[in-house]
Order: sequence, then structure tokens, then C-alpha cells
Amino acid sequence: MQIEVNHRPAYALATVSLDADEIVVAEGGAMVSMDTHVTVETAAAKKEGQGLMGGLMSGLKRMVAGESFFQNKFKAAGSAGSVTFAPKHVGDIVSYTMTGACGLVLQSTAYLCSAESVDIDAKWGGSKSFFGGEGLFMLKASGQGPIVFNSFGAIKEIDVTGDFIVDNGHIVAFEDTLSFTNTRFGSGFMQSILGGEGLVCKFSGTGKLWIQTRNPQGFGEALASKLPMRTN
Amino acid sequence: MQHDIRNKPDFASLHIVFDEGDAIVTEAGAMMGMSPGLKMETNMKGGLMAAAKRAMGGESVFMNTYTATEGGQRLDVAPSSPGDMEHIHLEGGAVVVQRGSYCASTPGITVDSSWGGWKSMTAGEGLVMLHCSGEGELWLASYGAIHCQHIEGTYVVDTSHIVAFDESLTYKVRSIGGMKSLLFSGEGRVCEFSGTGRVWFQTRSAPNLAEFLHPFRRVKPKK
Repeated sequence: MQIEVNHRPAYALATVSLDADEIVVAEGGAMVSMDTHVTVETAAAKKEGQGLMGGLMSGLKRMVAGESFFQNKFKAAGSAGSVTFAPKHVGDIVSYTMTGACGLVLQSTAYLCSAESVDIDAKWGGSKSFFGGEGLFMLKASGQGPIVFNSFGAIKEIDVTGDFIVDNGHIVAFEDTLSFTNTRFGSGFMQSILGGEGLVCKFSGTGKLWIQTRNPQGFGEALASKLPMRTN
Repeated sequence: MQHDIRNKPDFASLHIVFDEGDAIVTEAGAMMGMSPGLKMETNMKGGLMAAAKRAMGGESVFMNTYTATEGGQRLDVAPSSPGDMEHIHLEGGAVVVQRGSYCASTPGITVDSSWGGWKSMTAGEGLVMLHCSGEGELWLASYGAIHCQHIEGTYVVDTSHIVAFDESLTYKVRSIGGMKSLLFSGEGRVCEFSGTGRVWFQTRSAPNLAEFLHPFRRVKPKK
């Protein structure tokens, strides 16, 4: 599987070239174009060995995590072929290869596509991420092979050694060798409330962290307040 | 005439330096800057019927024609949406352009709406596509980057991402996968192109942006 990213950073497009009979799994609605002989199979996301109920539960967890209930499997049937994918948002795309040495934690809307050998699981973020404003779930990728994720805005990769602080709305993904705690920004009332920074995430340890240069929540609020009210 | 597209792909704009007597036609409202001596005419190009058909194609009824009264005069053109522009040189061929993607052209290009018929309606592209033919230069604009794919044989593109394609290609609209994919894949309908030619597609779609923004809108209180 070869992955090429073009038109970076605002309107990035990922082109996945598959060998004969190779499969790429993708987020629902992400496909832009493909070779005609590539077949598509839609199934509730489930792991190897899971039965019907297991598949249903995985699907539900994914849905709560902000991803689609169903995943699409694109297979280059018979001969090599390619598929292009784009996220819904304006922003960049990163291709990352999982070596099995560590897992990858993704913010729920960051997932785009991955090799079949990578397991994507909706992970209960617990109260820690709930109060962080990131939604209840995060996605946890494990296994080996390429995974592709997307950001809102441009993406910046940071090699963390020691501690690093990121605003919650700007987290895209991080290696699970990093631990994190949510903390209030600044020490006093003036800094934490009036500074407009709210909650931040403090990462510790050694590992890679990806942050996005725009906050989707901030963009949505800035634009939607200028739109007419909705009735539903 | 010299022309180039700058600031690709995020905020593309078209910059033209005219020779005397050169002219260019643009969609209404696309002019960003111009030399004061440039002669500008606003008309319903092609007459009332052509204008009405264009309006159905999602384009403006009125088009502006800019003519250079002396060499060296300039015109800067900017589309309304953030995104890319693409230049297409036509020599007697024709391209079919998705409604809303036409930006500007030289007078040798005829821009006509043709009924896409039932086929394009089920593609969710609206009833009308623009048919651009003749000899000269054509500029398209879209939300997102524009990606050009050369097709020899067959190729599939999601209908909501199509910007334009060579008329030499034939196409049919279909869904992908089986029944389950039709209902749950989140993939809309696709166009399957056959033949030899180019298809241009945009790497983002405006409906997706609107869908993202909708939940942020304030809710009108119930009476």
C-alpha cells in the first residue's frame, strides 16, 4: 500500500495505491474517486473473531465517538488500483505507519483511512476527556500498518520529551507512550477565565504529538453566529 | 494576452495582461481589480434565452466583457469561494462544467447550458450543466483544490466532487457496492466515466462544510 498526499495543507487529498486484492478501510463518505474495478463493501466495524453482537457494539461505540457506524472496505479486486480520500473539513492529511511498538490515540473526527491490519477502537475517554471538551470518546488505533488522519487547519508534529501543553481544541493525535492530564490554564481567575484559553491538556513522557493550527469549535461558533437561526 | 493563476490552491486568483483589442468574459461579480482604461460591458451574452438557460445552470444572467483599449492593461479576477482555479485551453473540443464552477473565458468560447436530463438529476447535480466549446481559454473555480485525472478506460468519481470533464468521455451514474453500501456507506452516488479524456474534481465539497456548520447555528425559540 502506497499513500501519497497532495494539495497540502488546506485541501489535502490522499491517494492510496493498492496492490492486487489489497484492502483499505475508510471512514464513511470519505471516498472522492477510484478505479472502476475497486469493489466496496460496507460493514459495521468489528474486530477479527467478533460475532454479530460484537460488531454491533463496535459500531455503536464508533457512532458515539463521532465516526460513522459503518466502515467501507475498498478492495482492488484482481489487479492493482487506487482510491482517493478527502476529509469533510478544510485541512491537512498525515500518513503514519504503525510499527506495533505503540498505539495511536486520535481525536474522534481525525480518522480517515487505514490498512486492514490496523484495529480502530472507540475508546472510552472517561471523565478526563469529557471535561476536556473533546467529547466522550477518542479513537484508539493499534496493530501494524499505515493509518491516515486529518486535521482542521494545518498540522504540526511535535516530538515531546518531558512536558508539553496544548489547548484541547487543537489536539489531533498522539502516541500512547504519552500520558495526559487536563488542567486549567494559568494560576489565577484572570488568566484561566478571561484569558479565553479555558482547558488545556498537559502531555508527559516521550512520544509524537500532532496539533492542528485551527480549532473547529471556534470556527463554527464564529461563522454560525452570523447565520439566520435554525428551527430544528 | 498573458495570463496566470496565482495563490493556488487555497485562494487562487486570475491575473491578465492584455494586448490591444483583447477581450475576456467573466461571471458577474468576479472582477477584483482592473486598469481604469479597460472597457467594460455588461450584457446578457447570447440573448435572453441563453441567459435564462445560464441562470438555470446556476450561473449569473449577466456576464461582463472587458476589452482592452490599449496594450498592457490589466484585469484581476477572483472567484467567490476560497479554493482553486484551473485553466483549460480549448481547440475545437468541448468540456462539460458543473454548475457554479465557470469563472471566465475568452470570447471564442461559447458557454451554453445543456439539459443534463434525468441522468444528471439523479446524480444530484441539478438539471443543468454548462457546455463550453470553441477555441480559446477557459477558467474554472471551485471550493477545495482541483485535481486533474487523465482517464483511459474507466474511472469513478463521487458526483458531489465533479468540477468538469472532457465531452469525449461518456458517463453513467450509479451507486457503489451492494444494497448495504447504498444505505449505510455514507458515499453518495458516483459517476463512472468511460473513454479517453480528462476529469477535474474538487478535493472538498461545499455541502459538507454547510453540514458541519449547521449544528452551530442558534435555534429559533418556539412560540
